[in-house]
Amino acid sequence: MNYSFQRELLSEGVYFSSVTDDKFKHNRITANFILPLNKNTVTNNAVVPFILRKGYRECPDFTKLNRELNRLYGASLSCDISKFGAYQVLDISIYGVDDRYTLKKESIVQKCAQMLSKVLLDQHFENGLLPQKDVELEKQYLIDTIESQINDKRIFALNRCKTIMCEGESLAVEKYGYIEDAKKITSASATEAYKNILKTAQVEIMFVGCGNPDAAKQVFKQAFSSVERFPISIKKLTTKTKADEIKEVTDEMDVSQSKLVMGFRCGEINSMKEFYAVRTMAALFGGTPNSRLFTYVREKLSLCYYCAARFDRMTGLMMVDSGVNKENKQKAYDEILNQLEVIKNGDFSDDELIATRLAMKNSLQGVTDSLGAIEEWYMAQIMSGTDIAPGQEAEALDNVTKEDVIAAAKKVTLDTVYFLTGKEEQ
Amino acid sequence: MQEVIKSQQLNQEIVKVQHPSGLTLLLCPMKGFSTAYATFTTQYGSVDTAFKTQDDDEMLQVPQGIAHFLEHKMFENENGEDAFASYAKTGASANAYTTFDKTAYLFSCTDNFQQSLEVLLDFVQRPYFTKESVEKEQGIIGQEIKMYNDDGDWRVYFNLLGALYQNHPVRIDIAGTVESISEIDADLLYRCYHTFYNLNNMVLCVAGNFEIDTVLKVADKLLKPAEKKIKIERGTYQEPEQVNKALVEQKLAVATPLFQLGFKGKSKDAASNLRNQVLDEILADIIAGEASELYSKMYDAGLINSTFSSEIMAGRDYMCSIFSGESRDPKKVAQMIKEEISRLQKEGLDKEMVELCKRATYGRYIGMYSRVEAVAGLMAITHFADVNMYEFLDIVAGASIKTLTERLSVAFDTTKSALSIVYPLDEN
Repeated sequence: MNYSFQRELLSEGVYFSSVTDDKFKHNRITANFILPLNKNTVTNNAVVPFILRKGYRECPDFTKLNRELNRLYGASLSCDISKFGAYQVLDISIYGVDDRYTLKKESIVQKCAQMLSKVLLDQHFENGLLPQKDVELEKQYLIDTIESQINDKRIFALNRCKTIMCEGESLAVEKYGYIEDAKKITSASATEAYKNILKTAQVEIMFVGCGNPDAAKQVFKQAFSSVERFPISIKKLTTKTKADEIKEVTDEMDVSQSKLVMGFRCGEINSMKEFYAVRTMAALFGGTPNSRLFTYVREKLSLCYYCAARFDRMTGLMMVDSGVNKENKQKAYDEILNQLEVIKNGDFSDDELIATRLAMKNSLQGVTDSLGAIEEWYMAQIMSGTDIAPGQEAEALDNVTKEDVIAAAKKVTLDTVYFLTGKEEQ
Repeated sequence: MQEVIKSQQLNQEIVKVQHPSGLTLLLCPMKGFSTAYATFTTQYGSVDTAFKTQDDDEMLQVPQGIAHFLEHKMFENENGEDAFASYAKTGASANAYTTFDKTAYLFSCTDNFQQSLEVLLDFVQRPYFTKESVEKEQGIIGQEIKMYNDDGDWRVYFNLLGALYQNHPVRIDIAGTVESISEIDADLLYRCYHTFYNLNNMVLCVAGNFEIDTVLKVADKLLKPAEKKIKIERGTYQEPEQVNKALVEQKLAVATPLFQLGFKGKSKDAASNLRNQVLDEILADIIAGEASELYSKMYDAGLINSTFSSEIMAGRDYMCSIFSGESRDPKKVAQMIKEEISRLQKEGLDKEMVELCKRATYGRYIGMYSRVEAVAGLMAITHFADVNMYEFLDIVAGASIKTLTERLSVAFDTTKSALSIVYPLDEN
């Protein structure tokens, strides 16, 4: 049986949502803990899921836990931190094959739900604190994670640009936190963060897959019923909608290919109609292989290997990033702005608009084919206080006109230009 | 000519069609999915650096990176429009990639499947290269190569292959080098194209939301029968069993040292390599998977983190196993893994661990059969290796301790290993 998105309240600030479809062979259950991004708490929060993932009261041994997971046909327990606008989201999820596809029709789904629930709420404590050994290890790994963000230069440059752009706002707070704070993590501080998360986070549990979510729902309902809760409420984000003067920052590093990132603000978005218009504008500008940036900056002028624009629905920011040779920076910069002007002036064809719409619809309609994409989609919906199915959004795009796109482009202002480049010799 | 390949367990089937044009079609409609995923693949990749056909007297040596270069160039046609522009009219999301032994052109779409398939079959059968367009591409791919030169994960991988292999071209970067691609010209591209893009050397795989009849109709309309069947003879390489060097190190702008520890396996034929890959994956899990004692030991000592993983690489005439990750002390990690392998070789495999790792592998393979892109990928890989796609599940379920023990000595031979490390740059 197939069911579209359903969400219900389990207890104070704890929601359970599910999307199920027979076509899948796996189930994925994720618990998302939503917290305000705050420089003082972000680092201790960030270490918590990684400590929890190491075990639970009845099974404090990591190897035993992993063997239990193997027994559940290689179910995987994973966690990560993400950022939705001004919120830090800690997620811990378990992904496993459905009962139907085991060799002896074993019960997997319920066991997965129970294990996740124990990891979250029935932790192993030593003298009332999360185990010292795990805290110390995970603290070091968190420091490594923060440091290793430098490894992927494209993502590093994008993040750096966003941070410069939103300096002083909670949006600029790093999702994994800061090295100097990570060094100060102790069992006591991590335990305090854990307790605070349980008490104050908005909790969104998502069940996506082909199994029956009811048993899982009961597991979490019961588990959370004994947790004392004073949950935060999620507010709509406000950040500057228009840039003042352009900020320019250049960093030097040992790289052979430079990265140019330009951060734009997209103006006030007051309705879904305007939202769809700005989404379409960004896609036409640099979101598809037929976009202006791909066609002109990459293909026609051969200025770079990649050049793309992305609009973030949570913040209303549009980031353009490209990998260029140092000497081509100015040319690429000029051409990117030139292409934005082209859109503002309406010098694009109806075919381009149609193609953009088709490409966007294609990716929207494909969301329902992947557990991860479904989950991500509905988390974004919950975070923005909407409840729109991917198919509905696809249909709504049909109503975006050329004039809407022009109007959306005219509201775009350049805020920050970030350039990551090699040292002298290149 | 049609044949149906079925899996009772998965309630799934593939229709295999031998099209009169010479092309093999593998079709797997998957109920409930919105997306159709199609790949048009030729058995031609970066390792094919020397070849001849029945019409040639001598082996032709081609510049490194030419298969990948050709992939890029296929997207342009004679009226200046590229294939992406044609896909733009259908909304499909299109791409292509080149591996060691394959070049694949693909699209995924939720609407307009027929039109998108027409675009795919059309442009891949219509090469068009000029001096100017080749020169322009040298600029773009030059940038791509530079990007990979900064990529620690990429470098640590190819440095490892360069250490494991002495002569086999699997040791060479798929995109070639800025120098090697400068030797490419339009004539060479045509020569490679006409050799390897012969329909007898290709396969069309479609999975997901589509009708079989639509594919057959488009195939009849657009596939141009090959004028004659080309017999390709590929370069062979005298690859010694021993590795090239045991250690290779580089410095790059990375935070923590990256490492890959590789074991050079014994290659047999493509089918055996692919089947053995599954067994070796179970073994890699037993040796150092998350459920192993060794994993905990290394993790608790702060030697590895959650990026630690293993991969088995199987191709037509190469086969190796790789453990990789980040570590403050990669040499210590390599030593511990090798010691654990030696211990297992001496003391034998633990029955319970074998069962647990078989189960985990089984679950992982089940997952692949439920994603359209994975199914399309598996169909192509198994086709070229001449293996039944659903055989993997039986291989996992049937893996005995005896078979695994045999593989352990062949695929994880500690005297044939190499360690690749990328260190951070010095602080200053």
